[in-house]
Amino acid sequence: MVGPLDRDGDTAPFLDGTARGEFLLRRCPQGHWSEPAASTCTACGSVELSWAASTGDARLVSWAVTHGRPDGDTPPPRHVLAVVELDEGPWWWTSLVAADPEALSPGIPLRVEFARAAEQYEAVPVFRPV
Amino acid sequence: MSGPRDVAAGRRPVIAGLGLTDVGKVYGRSAQQFAADAVRLAVADAGLQMSDVDGLLTSSGVTRGVAMSLQRDLGLTDLALLSEMQAFGATAGAMVQMAALAVQSGTASVVACVFADDPLKEGKTAGSAYGTRRAPSGWGGLMGASGYAGPNPLYALAARRHMQTYGTTTEQLGAVAVAQRDWAVLNPLAQLRTPMTLADHAGSRWVVDPFRKLDCCLVSNGGAAVLVTTAERAADLARPPVHVHGWGQAHPGRLLKHSEDFGLVTGAVASGAKAFAMAGLTVQDVDVAELYDCYTYTVVVSLEDYGFCAKGEGGPFAASGALGPEGTLKLNTGGGQLSSYYLWGMTPLTEAVIQARGEAGERQADAHDIVLVSGNGGILDHHSTLILSPHPVSGGAA
Ligand SMILES: [Zn+2]
Repeated sequence: MVGPLDRDGDTAPFLDGTARGEFLLRRCPQGHWSEPAASTCTACGSVELSWAASTGDARLVSWAVTHGRPDGDTPPPRHVLAVVELDEGPWWWTSLVAADPEALSPGIPLRVEFARAAEQYEAVPVFRPV
Repeated sequence: MSGPRDVAAGRRPVIAGLGLTDVGKVYGRSAQQFAADAVRLAVADAGLQMSDVDGLLTSSGVTRGVAMSLQRDLGLTDLALLSEMQAFGATAGAMVQMAALAVQSGTASVVACVFADDPLKEGKTAGSAYGTRRAPSGWGGLMGASGYAGPNPLYALAARRHMQTYGTTTEQLGAVAVAQRDWAVLNPLAQLRTPMTLADHAGSRWVVDPFRKLDCCLVSNGGAAVLVTTAERAADLARPPVHVHGWGQAHPGRLLKHSEDFGLVTGAVASGAKAFAMAGLTVQDVDVAELYDCYTYTVVVSLEDYGFCAKGEGGPFAASGALGPEGTLKLNTGGGQLSSYYLWGMTPLTEAVIQARGEAGERQADAHDIVLVSGNGGILDHHSTLILSPHPVSGGAA
């Protein structure tokens, strides 16, 4: 479902969060939320950003469906990629689990969960329709 | 902004030479060799000597294979201008803008702008050329681990948002692909010249829904170059000059961030407005439009953003029969990146120069007084616009 991932200096704090089941965002002293990769507050330009946990609730902005290679009579595996808007405002580029592509529409509620390609790799956020 | 009308007529910028190598599944040449070939072809086309070139701007594709050492490969010494440039698919237009500024200011007198790429390797599939490299760490690695590879899914997400918001349909996207193939049938330079139908589009495999294979651009090896000089210098050269009337760029800077415009409105709005203002023209004056078409959807949103139709009407406009050789708007007249060749922003630029010169043969648009060129890079995040014409800029400074 998700691919192998190692950490680096940029992503280590975020991946500490995913490891304990939290989706972290950046927050400035005025309380504006920015996406995890931000180094400047989207709203006010502050560079004094700290990490803070989001609720993990989100809504669907857009989605696309990848189609794998067919294997004999088995239909090709489908995988739903999505842009989601966290309830705090920032967007995240992710994939959905347990999502029927025909049942999706903009704005449907989603909730974060975490998956690893294998035990030795980092936990990656994915979203599930609720 | 100071445009061509603000400088003396002799100093105004023109495109005086065009070089296009063999493109497509062409093997045995590196990107840098394609680039050198393209510059040599452009210099010969203009009737100049390589020693006349005193400016060189280079642009690399996915293999990042063109370096400033191209100067050495071309035997160029004592250049007045040399740089690598990078704005992804907007680079070709951006290079011409930089070159235009250089020649009208006297910084350089003959500037070669070149792009080349060699993503296709003999014996490997086109799909392996793009997007399969995965960073194992970093924010890019996190996107890769989340299932993203290359630009296809990112543009597909943009297209879905347009479809959900405005009701754009896959059949309307198919109409873009069919219209451009109809042009490519007339273009001896095109890689795909077999006529196609909406049914062919609907029957082509999903790449990433909502994109089918026939919604996506080609992958090509090759190189292209243009020579930019002044109107005065071009007057006694070999080819009819193509005058640069206006230009603009826009870089919204919201890539992957919360953006209400994502998929709906692009930087082409601002880039186009600047170029039209500089040229003293409007979209109604455009005879031929060469719009960056990495995907069928990119054409639809760009048609709206430049004002060829209202926002949200790009799909119905494409499906109305307005496009294609028999249509009312002469758009992507060589077949574009979908059916002719994929050399990033050089695809629309090369075809624009050919059309402006009136040398497009069977596919020549009858009216070609004003030709619009649009570049788009990143995920709809970098735009460049050029307005070209076979006629000199009129009015302005003496
Ligand atoms: Zn702030």
